[in-house]
Amino acid sequence: MSPLSRRQLLRATTGAAALTAAGPLLTACGTAQGDALDPTAKPDLDGVTLKILANQPNALSFHYLAGPFEEATGAKLKVTPVPYDKLTSKATLDVQSGAGQFDVFMYWYAAVGTLAQGGVIEDLTAYIRAHKDIEESDFLPSLYDTYTRWDGKRWGLPYDGDTHILFYNTELFERHKVEPPKTWDDYQHIAEKITKDAKGKYYGTIIEAQQVPVILGCDFANRLAGYGGTFLDQGGSGTPTLTSPEAIAAAQALFDAAPHALPSPLQIGFDQATPAFLDGKGAMLDFWTDFAKRAEDPKQSKVVGKWGVTTLPVGGDNTKPRTSLDAGFGLAVSTASKQKEAAAAFIKWATAAQQNLLVLGKPDAGADPIRTSTLNADAFKKASPDSYDVVRTGLAGDPLPWPTVPKSPQLLQGLVDELALGLQGKQSAKKALENTQRAWLTTLKKT
Amino acid sequence: MSRASHVPRFRVPRALAAPSVVFLLVFAAYPLVYLIGLAFTSSTLAQPLRRWTGFDNFHSALESQSFSGSLWRSVVFAVAAACVQLVLGTALALLLRARAARPGLLGTVLLLPLVTPPVMVGVAWKLLLAPVGGALNGALHEFGLPGVNPLGGSTGAFVTLIVIDSWQWTPFVMLLAYAALLGVPDELREAAALDGAGRVRTLRSVVLPYIEPTLLSVLTLKLVIGFKVFDIVYVVTAGGPGFSTTTSTYDIQRTALQEFDVGSAAAATVLFSLIIGLVVSVVALRRKRHEEVAV
Repeated sequence: MSPLSRRQLLRATTGAAALTAAGPLLTACGTAQGDALDPTAKPDLDGVTLKILANQPNALSFHYLAGPFEEATGAKLKVTPVPYDKLTSKATLDVQSGAGQFDVFMYWYAAVGTLAQGGVIEDLTAYIRAHKDIEESDFLPSLYDTYTRWDGKRWGLPYDGDTHILFYNTELFERHKVEPPKTWDDYQHIAEKITKDAKGKYYGTIIEAQQVPVILGCDFANRLAGYGGTFLDQGGSGTPTLTSPEAIAAAQALFDAAPHALPSPLQIGFDQATPAFLDGKGAMLDFWTDFAKRAEDPKQSKVVGKWGVTTLPVGGDNTKPRTSLDAGFGLAVSTASKQKEAAAAFIKWATAAQQNLLVLGKPDAGADPIRTSTLNADAFKKASPDSYDVVRTGLAGDPLPWPTVPKSPQLLQGLVDELALGLQGKQSAKKALENTQRAWLTTLKKT
Repeated sequence: MSRASHVPRFRVPRALAAPSVVFLLVFAAYPLVYLIGLAFTSSTLAQPLRRWTGFDNFHSALESQSFSGSLWRSVVFAVAAACVQLVLGTALALLLRARAARPGLLGTVLLLPLVTPPVMVGVAWKLLLAPVGGALNGALHEFGLPGVNPLGGSTGAFVTLIVIDSWQWTPFVMLLAYAALLGVPDELREAAALDGAGRVRTLRSVVLPYIEPTLLSVLTLKLVIGFKVFDIVYVVTAGGPGFSTTTSTYDIQRTALQEFDVGSAAAATVLFSLIIGLVVSVVALRRKRHEEVAV
């Protein structure tokens, strides 16, 4: 080989090696990790601007908080709303890319393990312990651990305690002489009867079954809760329990109702379901509690004064109304923030009872109670006269938590994929859940 | 040769080429190496390149019901859409050429779908085809006809996506085919006419063979574009019902950005690239053979 060829070979080899080595190196450079959070620091917030990544439906709540927060501290809030299904990826990429554009992340609680394990959010255990005025004991026991705890540590504080309730069209119920359902069997009977009698003018129920965890997953979870089932044992962090009789009955109830619902449930998401209910096209819809405010808004709704709410039905051996923690959000400090103490101070302030009550009173804030004191407050009762009792029953009871383990996004997507195949008629409820159980066990084993 | 004269002769050209080399390394080689690195490691969105896993990600991608099915769907979608659009686009171009008209206003109208953002195309079609409250069913009801729901079934949804894609991309094919037709010398047509060839025979034996290289290039382009389809799947069907319209790009996106399993998504991307290369190379080979014959 000539000297020139050797040189070329050497250069090529060096180049390739450098390129390969550059991968992890650049990745490491890209990940932004600010200084550790000092739990006892007392930051001066005057003149500080805190940047918040917020769930779109809740974005206005920060608008209502911004004024009082600036008055109290001198700090400003800058809010970036993103759709709920982009919160986790946007937060992760913000930290992983090194951009560090946000100080506070609003997170879907099911992703708390994913974000914590990924180093995206700060461990707030010491901070919460050092700040007794957070009043941990006032957070609703039904959601506090589920929303904030993973691997024995606390990673955030609850901000929006979401649950589903069952909305029904009173006019259609009266016309077809049916009563609000107490069990999923009643629900099935009503859906069948109204759809059959209405002959395509409207439908007995609306089922949202787009293949997205927060859409189809909610429909299944509501039935799973009603039948007394669970996703995972040990309060949402143990072994999958999807082949239990309760889970199979829940999936079967969903599959049975689908043919009597607004056409093509697999195509129905929020954008199709809510207008259909508000237009009087569907007699029942299980949805988030703040939908009550839209139903009473004559600009959006043709069913003003013609709707009611009730707890989600029960099924099987379970006779006690039980809701599911569908969606629900917390606030966490970004590990890439350069003002972590200020961000933590804001989270503490924003999740306090006074602020929770403030946003509960705003129809467009998309907020629900997170504390026992606010759930029981007269102010909340006055702000939500129609749904107060139902929301209280759900949150004060034993709601069903969704998985919060690091692999939960993968688990939940796998579940809705199998349920969608079942709704398409390609497999039975039992088979769908057996497949899911197997896939979940494999995924959790890899973790 | 003196050292003084040797240095400029080799270094100046290299220095001039350096920006291009750096550009290629940064924007082509680095992402490729990084992608391959991700494919062979356990990687999440938050923690890429965590640990070497060999071919595990490839195994799990191939074993995955959604990805293996999506590969076939992508191939069928890309080939079907490209063929439909090639035929329709060429036919429209021939029609325009036969009328000896410049595209003008008609051409502008025909090109409108092409310049519409794909997301808006998807939204418009979704609103048009919505089973309840959609414009199509509204019109059918006006005439007392029963409603239809093409997105409600597996085949209907898949065919609908091909229709939407064809609505958007046929004008592109038409434009390129029309340009190629303008290049066909009039002398050739006249010679064919003198030899007694009719319109169909002239088209089959003179015009189409003349523009075949262009059409093959367009087919290659359209195949690649068809394989990459994402926007309309995301907006119109979200991969459903079930997995009926889950193409590989949609599945990869879902794995990476909804399940955060970046390692598996990278392995799926590598496998998908190989499939694209295989299909496109068949067309490229035919084009090469055509060029050799022409020479």
